[in-house]
Amino acid sequence: MNVLVLSGYGINCENETLHAFEVVGFKGKIVHINDLIQNPKQLNNYQVFAIPGGFSYGDDTGSGNAMAKKILTNLYDQLIDFSLKDKLIIGICNGCQILINLGLVPSLNKKDPEVAMIENKSGSYECRWVDVKVNNNKSPWLKNISILNLPVAHQEGQFMIPINLLKSIKANNLIGLQYINNHKKLAKGQFPFNPNGSKDDIAALTNQNGNVLAMMPHPERAFYHYHVPNWQNNTSKKFGDGYKIFMNAKKFFA
Amino acid sequence: MTNTIQILSIEKTGKESSLQKEHNNKSIKIIDGYFFSRNLDDQKFTKISKLISNDVSQTILTKKNVNKVLSSYSNFNWVVEIKFLPGVTDNIATTVKEIINDNLKSSFKSFELGSTKIILIKGRKEDITKISKNEANPLIQTIKIYPFKQYLNNFKKNQFKIERVKLPKKKYSKKEINLDISDYNLSLIGKLGIEENDKSRRGTLGLDLESLKTIRNYFSTIKRKPTDVEIETLAQTWSEHCKHKIFSAKIDDIQEGIFKKYIKGATEKIIQLRKDNFCVSLFTDNAGGIEFNKEWIICHKVETHNTPSALDPFGGAITGIVGVNRDCLGFGKGAKPIANTYAYYLADPNKKYQLYRQKNKDPMLPANFIAKGIISGVRVGGNCSGIPTPQGNVYFDDRFAGKPLVFCGTVGIIPKKIKGKLSHKKKANPGDIILMAGGRVGKDGIHGATFSSEELDPNSPVSAVQIGDPITQKKMSDVIIRELRDENLYSSITDNGAGGLSSSIGEMAKESGGFIVNLEKVPLKYNGLYPWEIWVSESQERMTLAVPPANVKKVIKRFNARGVEATIIGKFIKKDKAIVKYNKTEILNLDMEFLHEGYPKLNLKTSFPKIKKEKKKIIKKSSLIDKLHKLLSSPNIVSKEFIATQYDHEVQATSIIKPLQGEGRVFGNATAIKPLFDDEKSIALSQAAYPQYAETNPYDMAGCSIDTAYKNLIVSGANSKKIAILDNFCWCSSDEPDRLYQLKEAAKACYDYAVAYQTPFISGKDSMFNDFKGFDKTGKSVKISIPPTLLISSIGVVDKISHLTKMTSDDGDILLVLGNTRNELQDSVYSKIIGYEKSKNPVVYSKDALRTYRNFEKANKLGIINSAIGIDLGGIGIAVTKMAIASKKGLTIDLKLKNKISVDQFLFSESQSRILVSIKKNKLANFKKVFKGSDYTIIGKCTGSDVVKFKDNKKIIRGKISDFAKSYKQNIKGL
Repeated sequence: MNVLVLSGYGINCENETLHAFEVVGFKGKIVHINDLIQNPKQLNNYQVFAIPGGFSYGDDTGSGNAMAKKILTNLYDQLIDFSLKDKLIIGICNGCQILINLGLVPSLNKKDPEVAMIENKSGSYECRWVDVKVNNNKSPWLKNISILNLPVAHQEGQFMIPINLLKSIKANNLIGLQYINNHKKLAKGQFPFNPNGSKDDIAALTNQNGNVLAMMPHPERAFYHYHVPNWQNNTSKKFGDGYKIFMNAKKFFA
Repeated sequence: MTNTIQILSIEKTGKESSLQKEHNNKSIKIIDGYFFSRNLDDQKFTKISKLISNDVSQTILTKKNVNKVLSSYSNFNWVVEIKFLPGVTDNIATTVKEIINDNLKSSFKSFELGSTKIILIKGRKEDITKISKNEANPLIQTIKIYPFKQYLNNFKKNQFKIERVKLPKKKYSKKEINLDISDYNLSLIGKLGIEENDKSRRGTLGLDLESLKTIRNYFSTIKRKPTDVEIETLAQTWSEHCKHKIFSAKIDDIQEGIFKKYIKGATEKIIQLRKDNFCVSLFTDNAGGIEFNKEWIICHKVETHNTPSALDPFGGAITGIVGVNRDCLGFGKGAKPIANTYAYYLADPNKKYQLYRQKNKDPMLPANFIAKGIISGVRVGGNCSGIPTPQGNVYFDDRFAGKPLVFCGTVGIIPKKIKGKLSHKKKANPGDIILMAGGRVGKDGIHGATFSSEELDPNSPVSAVQIGDPITQKKMSDVIIRELRDENLYSSITDNGAGGLSSSIGEMAKESGGFIVNLEKVPLKYNGLYPWEIWVSESQERMTLAVPPANVKKVIKRFNARGVEATIIGKFIKKDKAIVKYNKTEILNLDMEFLHEGYPKLNLKTSFPKIKKEKKKIIKKSSLIDKLHKLLSSPNIVSKEFIATQYDHEVQATSIIKPLQGEGRVFGNATAIKPLFDDEKSIALSQAAYPQYAETNPYDMAGCSIDTAYKNLIVSGANSKKIAILDNFCWCSSDEPDRLYQLKEAAKACYDYAVAYQTPFISGKDSMFNDFKGFDKTGKSVKISIPPTLLISSIGVVDKISHLTKMTSDDGDILLVLGNTRNELQDSVYSKIIGYEKSKNPVVYSKDALRTYRNFEKANKLGIINSAIGIDLGGIGIAVTKMAIASKKGLTIDLKLKNKISVDQFLFSESQSRILVSIKKNKLANFKKVFKGSDYTIIGKCTGSDVVKFKDNKKIIRGKISDFAKSYKQNIKGL
């Protein structure tokens, strides 16, 4: 099991993302986008393609856009090919924004992009912990998970989806994660439970196969128990909720 | 054909809503504009538009649709067009250019473009003017206001323009400066700069008459005239910013100066006493380094960026934070930045100070604009760089109205050994190539080092503002840390900060002997820079490396492969000579010794200052609960959650004690990160400054800063033997004997307390002239000086996860205050907000304090402590309410008063060295054993209810936790 973790141009969560994969049993490598463009065939060596969080191109022209355009220009076919195989792709935070801008999720009309990531309703950057519930557990990434406590850290985390598309997204069960409130009910847009005002409290989308997951919260930052706020009150567990996502990837190939 | 692409967000953006809210006007819309230097045909227009926009959320404006699209939002009547001034770094434009070049390859080449913010408004012209003033900074941007009709017209007639730097193409000829002139004319050179042929002046050199005379003597000995480049270089190298002349000067009877005697002296004394390997690299490098574990070193550096932040708050702050990141990159062979810290000392953002740099013109930026700009500058700098920013604080006082203080710090980590060699040692060898990597050089930041050493007055140069580009720096930093360092491909590295190449190369050349630089090789943002400008420019995001010739090709290739420019600009030599050439003409040739040590040493005298007594303010009669609410909601105590949530403190997945603590999210005064996946050791960080105590007693002020910064780490669980501190002195009028007296006193306290606590100073910086000289709104001349401010930053190692404490108590816990409470309300938050009582200023009694701290550490390791908060501003009263808010659990406080202390004195005194702790009932006996002979008071218990109860002999006073939380989480007015 090999994971390729993308880096370059302001992506910045590659170390902790790779670490999370390694702990659950993957072998992995951080690969700079320019090296991948030079030698796209190396993708064949990997079963998981991960685009970590960060600030690629400083969010200029919209978060994830510039990097998506770089991939579109240089690597698009290879990535589509990867997504059509029995392989997994995950985009976390900026990685999520990149996948959305590439149209790899929800990928219903095969026309890019179908969804936009826009600025948080609060107008400010939000770094805080949220609860999300799993909506679509047919995705290998999300199997057998019900609720996750994870941090978000973004300025543009609001999913903007045209009404018709939203209908088909729901019909196809492509909403991966949704923000919930302190009573475990959908946040209904209420801040801070829904940190960005995303419609239908969407925190993650998948493609139809479920093998491509674009999520705004950061599982790699909720990997160990001591990542979780106020962990001192509960030191019995070794891992935080983010661990489950990476374990699911392992189970998929096991 | 068109030369502009303009993009509109369909939904209201955050920026639009905040503008609408701020100006109470719903008809505001912002367009992202890109103005091209070349026309785009329809096909290119469509293609490029698609590359830089999103059809789901945005609309591209065209000649055809513009009218219709915009009229669906409002009947706009005005347009504010904001563009960067020619030559100012335009990061968005750079990205767009890169996307176009990558996608269109050679089919669309050689074009320029500028990003533009176009604000459409319906409103009255005077409101529009106000909005534009709030949205743009004239130092770096141009603002055009024109009627909406004209905008439509511009659209149709293709009249959007970008402006480029048009510098006259001048042939450079070597400029020699005649210094054999009158003292008056000589001092003009120092104050206003070198005179150009057209009689204009280049801008301040910050050289005093004596320095200029020293330069004159040097050149008369070597029998030639100095060149302009030589004088500029000496000005940079000898600036207060670079040489810290005041700290190294003889002062009264202290021959060696206060730095050597008190700061370095303390550290040397401590090292002599400790005999361990804790201190690794002190004072000599870009940051100070200490041992983290057997394999790793951590380093810390804190810088100030006050003057640039006064002129351009966003730009000043962002360059402050990415600048100090480079100090870590330049520590040893290059440490990876793993945490940022910040501390802002600001004027009240809700007040209008109306200060002018010149009579009735050249106004200071409004206090709220400064505060907001600084907060967002560090946000963008830190977040974009992928470096967590967990630790910081903000303090407000009117005396920062003329100059805000912006402290930016970074912690870095580096393996002790790289390929068997000690990583903190570096040496540029003779023959090594000088390689400049990162961004290009422009006119930005010229004379930054010399002017930040001076007071802010009408002649403060505006070109001293730099714009940060964190992504360029991130790309460069990744190459250095991941691809070059661990292969030992270079022999030395340092950052380009103040003074640019002249400083970085000058410093590194001390390692080899000297240097030869060919300035024409330096890549420029645009043509037309004079050699002296290239040499001293403070353009950001650049590192200078010394690379052995055999590795140069490889190093450049690695940089280029990651989209980073790297250029050979000279070499290091053995001879003690500093040589700079421009197209083969030698324009600088100085002895290294003279360059670095030739400056005249100051001889300073101090005198005892008149103590400015706190103004008496009558105490308003109000209930205890009322007072608590007033203090909790006062700007210096109120929660800074709004900053913590906009600064990414989780990136790198290291955050272990977060800025907001407990279920009730209380802003903590220390945070911790766990930097390595395979070691449970953590790094605890804190900081403290007490400018409010400075005028009464600078010695005690410094003592309090050290004590608080140290205490916060002890409270968080750090090992007392592994705590180091950093000093950042921000002073005012440091040419006045009474200010120097305060400085000397504060420095003396630094020695006394650092030695007492055995905490070495590992790095420091000073900024000595934080004064504003200008005019008020009536045209009366005013001088506003900051109160002397000493920021002590502390960094410590926590050995085990289980040592990390929390601030939340549990039902049934017993509450105790460790340490002594005295009547020390002078200059306290209480005396400012509630009223003055005859009282004393807080004093640190180090012996007592150490006994408390050692016992706390022991008790914590034994698991006796359940929760703890360091008591500081607002005293016990605020500490207990914070504990209740954080844990959402009620407390009962017994007001059994000792030592003739009143209730208010007991609750609000800011006596130092105290900790509020809670322990489980069954641990009381063990606690008493550990704390035998130490001062502590049992003050109550945790009840788990929803109220805080204060009980004295007569009555019980209650306050609801949710109400306290409301006051504590109030917005700061003006922000």
